Amino acid sequence: MNITQAIKMAVKSISSNKGRSALTMLGIIIGLAAVIILVSYAQGQNAALRAYYESMGNNTISLYAYSYGNSGPQDVGSLIYDYCLQLDDVVGVTPNGYVYSSPTIKYESKTLSRNNGSGGIMMGGGVIVSPSGGSYNEDYPQIYLGNDKFGLCNDYEIAKGRDLSYLDVEKSNQVCVLGAATAEYLFSFADPIDKTITVNGMPFRVIGVYKSKGNTQIGGREEDQWMQESMKQMDRMILLPSTMTRYFNNNDPIQDYVVKVRDAGSIAKVTTSILGYLSGIIDTNNGYYGVNSNEEYLQQEDEATAMQQRFLGGIAAISLLVGGIGIMNIMLVTVTERTREIGIRKAIGAERRSIVTQFLIEASMICGIGGIMGIIVGYLGTLIVGKLSFNTILIPNPGTAVVAFLVSVALGIIFGLYPAVKASGLQPVVALRAE
Amino acid sequence: MLIEIKDLYKIYNEGKESEVRALNGVTLSIDRGEFVAIIGQSGSGKSTLMNILGCLDIPTYGDYHLDGVDVTELTDRQLAHIRNKQIGFIFQGYNLIPALNARENVELPLIYQGLGMEQRHQRSREALERVSMYDRATHKPPEMSGGQQQRVAIARAIATHPPIIMADEPTGALDSKTGRHVLEILHGLHEEGSTIILITHDNGIAATAERIVRLSDGVIVADGTREEVGL
Repeated sequence: MNITQAIKMAVKSISSNKGRSALTMLGIIIGLAAVIILVSYAQGQNAALRAYYESMGNNTISLYAYSYGNSGPQDVGSLIYDYCLQLDDVVGVTPNGYVYSSPTIKYESKTLSRNNGSGGIMMGGGVIVSPSGGSYNEDYPQIYLGNDKFGLCNDYEIAKGRDLSYLDVEKSNQVCVLGAATAEYLFSFADPIDKTITVNGMPFRVIGVYKSKGNTQIGGREEDQWMQESMKQMDRMILLPSTMTRYFNNNDPIQDYVVKVRDAGSIAKVTTSILGYLSGIIDTNNGYYGVNSNEEYLQQEDEATAMQQRFLGGIAAISLLVGGIGIMNIMLVTVTERTREIGIRKAIGAERRSIVTQFLIEASMICGIGGIMGIIVGYLGTLIVGKLSFNTILIPNPGTAVVAFLVSVALGIIFGLYPAVKASGLQPVVALRAE
Repeated sequence: MLIEIKDLYKIYNEGKESEVRALNGVTLSIDRGEFVAIIGQSGSGKSTLMNILGCLDIPTYGDYHLDGVDVTELTDRQLAHIRNKQIGFIFQGYNLIPALNARENVELPLIYQGLGMEQRHQRSREALERVSMYDRATHKPPEMSGGQQQRVAIARAIATHPPIIMADEPTGALDSKTGRHVLEILHGLHEEGSTIILITHDNGIAATAERIVRLSDGVIVADGTREEVGL
């Protein structure tokens, strides 16, 4: 018997036992699709978390330092600034202060104040009731005090106009850069550049607007809403030159700084250097200091993700196993039937080799077709899950698909060949007696 | 001699308490062109003998020469060739493959012979016409009656034009009318020169054979014509 005949015979056998073939394929399809979808889901979640942390500022170190001497608080900021800038791996340093009080912000007839109306009455969309009973205005921006590197260190990009300059800070120019949401709130569709807003009655000329961060789509699930919300919150901001602290914060020195380093690998090194420097200039009896970096969050997140991935990997392995057992069951259930068939084939003159060849082709075809269908279902499922869960196009990892394909096809072929190998070695009369 | 067996034993669970001697020293010769009926009670070993003659089973001890070849020395592959070319086997339970239709079942041994499609179609047509089943060529076994299935099984056995046809209770599961029809086909094949070996427990059917072998408890107790055996 030649190979063409063996293929024809296998096709015949598959098509005339549709139920058996379909069930076997189903086992493979389910196992494969489950593995692909689950692993992709875990990877999608990981990517979403990374996108979130990256939007908060990447490769940055946040530090705080405060010291007071005999004559009151000392400004350690310029020391820190100079120290950090001379480190090799540092790309930029910015004060990261904010205005303590909540001054009212105005542009022509538009007013933005911390509390909206009085008495905590719900006023629709932008108003929520604050715990103290007042009505808290959700649109009220965070007013930052920073320098020309603030945008770089906090991952803000200029959309219009320009960023703060070194001289703006040095000369305490009364200029400001607006976050996307705040600019939209105050100016709607008008161009904010060179318009003047007032903060607590003090005029500031708008020199630039930052790009929106809140438009970054990171997911559509309930759990992702807070991330999305917190990223939108980042667009509600106004940046003033850090030297403005003398007008708004009783000339208190700014305590918070953000240092941007070249890459993730230099975070640990720079952190150590800064901590060493701070311990030298600040006496902890008369002040305090500390450092934390996004990298720590990211590491924690990576650990959490790795755990989740192991968990999902476990589920995926179980799916594959269950699929495999399904295939095995179908094959074993048909062993009796097939053993008889093999007995008949032997009785009328089939060689063992012909029978094994036919069964090998048959199992390979069923498993190959099932495997391809499983990959298709897995990819479609991943696209659907990606759309529903992360609101993005999620593409499965080809490596996962290939490994899962090979495992399930191998299982299918082994179990498919089992009756052939077993029964074709029997005396025909024994195989014919199978019940 | 076409078939020569000598001191043939088939022993199950040898040496154990449950030992069964299905064949207990059988010596038998069958010449080309004979029509032999093997009769005996159930459990007499006649099916075991037939399976060994048909190369479906191997004896525990003893010689079996088929057309001068020592069958006990052959490999699995060589035995497959003998089953394919030398012997047409007809089973009591038909043993058709249910997923294949009549023509495909008949062509199966021809495929294992390596015949091309045209030749296979021609041979299967001849065989099916011979048993008056050509009009049912596309039917599958579950769609056919027992008699029809047995006729397809006969067509499969004769499609390869084997010199020997062995039938194990071919009429056992059939009513007397279809049974007679099957018997007529076998006699027709005999007249054309085939060697026929037939197992039956039906004395009426056995009586149509020119030679009758009676088995009892694994040994031959009578061998000869109808009169000699006392049927």
